[in-house]
Amino acid sequence: MLIQIQIVIGTLSVILLLITFELIRKERLREEYSILWLFTGIAIFIFSLWPEFFLSQFFTRITGLSYLSAVVMITFLFLLMIVLHFSVVISKLTDRNKELAQRHALLELEFNEFKKHCYLQESQ
Amino acid sequence: MEFHRKIFVLIPAYNEEGAVGKVVEGVKNHLPEVDILVVNDGSADLTSEKARARGALVLDLPFNLGIGGAMQAGYKYADAKGYDIAIQVDGDGQHDPKEIPKLLRALEERQWDIAIGSRFTANSAEYKSSMMRRVGISLFSKVISMIVGQQLTDPTSGFRAANRRAIRLFACDYPQDYPEPEALVLLSRSGLKMGEVAVSMNQRYFGESSITKIKAIYYMVKVLVAIFVDCFKKRTPLREEGERC
Repeated sequence: MLIQIQIVIGTLSVILLLITFELIRKERLREEYSILWLFTGIAIFIFSLWPEFFLSQFFTRITGLSYLSAVVMITFLFLLMIVLHFSVVISKLTDRNKELAQRHALLELEFNEFKKHCYLQESQ
Repeated sequence: MEFHRKIFVLIPAYNEEGAVGKVVEGVKNHLPEVDILVVNDGSADLTSEKARARGALVLDLPFNLGIGGAMQAGYKYADAKGYDIAIQVDGDGQHDPKEIPKLLRALEERQWDIAIGSRFTANSAEYKSSMMRRVGISLFSKVISMIVGQQLTDPTSGFRAANRRAIRLFACDYPQDYPEPEALVLLSRSGLKMGEVAVSMNQRYFGESSITKIKAIYYMVKVLVAIFVDCFKKRTPLREEGERC
């Protein structure tokens, strides 16, 4: 029973890691955003290799979690962190986007006024 | 009436082709000396052309940024061009340009950094609006007055005059979405002085208010949360002239 869970979880984490590596290699995922994904993959992988700790009396007593729930729980925590990280990134991008749009509009106005000015001078 | 200062009227407009021309014209009639900038917030209609046809400068944002982003773009322009006073007038025509001198006078005489045109002071004329709106505004009024530490009756009013200090602050930092109440908190946290002037406002020429009934509650909660969060944010320092954000 335990070995089956280990195999399933281990395979999933290896697939996750491979996909992440492949995306980084093809430059479709920037390293700064891949770190949390790599950590998630590695953490799940460790779970599948050393289940003894998570089965121990000590771990069960302090958390009240069984092995599988612990894996799900930890994965969920990592996903939460990733989503939070994305929110931060999106907020930053939104701010920069706004700033760019404003500067673009201001430059365009300035440029058009300048053109008009030049045109008037030429025609005189 | 004579003002020896560079004055600038800032009109944010989003899909206001029916009203923006009249607003520009109204401002020109009452204050022929001032420069007018219409910030076209990515409108899909002829807002930009109509405003230009009446002789206003038009700042065309490449896409819709929301009222906060549009207003800030206008303040950035005012900051860069060295205007002493910026006046906000809504592009939908609910603000009466003939009331602008009242704001200017208050700014000058009382040494305020920002003068707010209010519909609800003791001497304001009766202003008709929906029950929902009144409840919302009175709630904001209480909350904002508490935070700012002075009585403000109409914190959602977008009819305002700002001096150089306020222009420089807003160019760097202006709240998003429904920014009027939040902007006041920002001002008071940076230690700027503000006050209200009684003005009358028109009913809107065209279109619906950007706040419909369904959105009203969402709006109120959102702004209250934003104001609450603002209280814990870092203060925006006032910059020296020429210093960047």
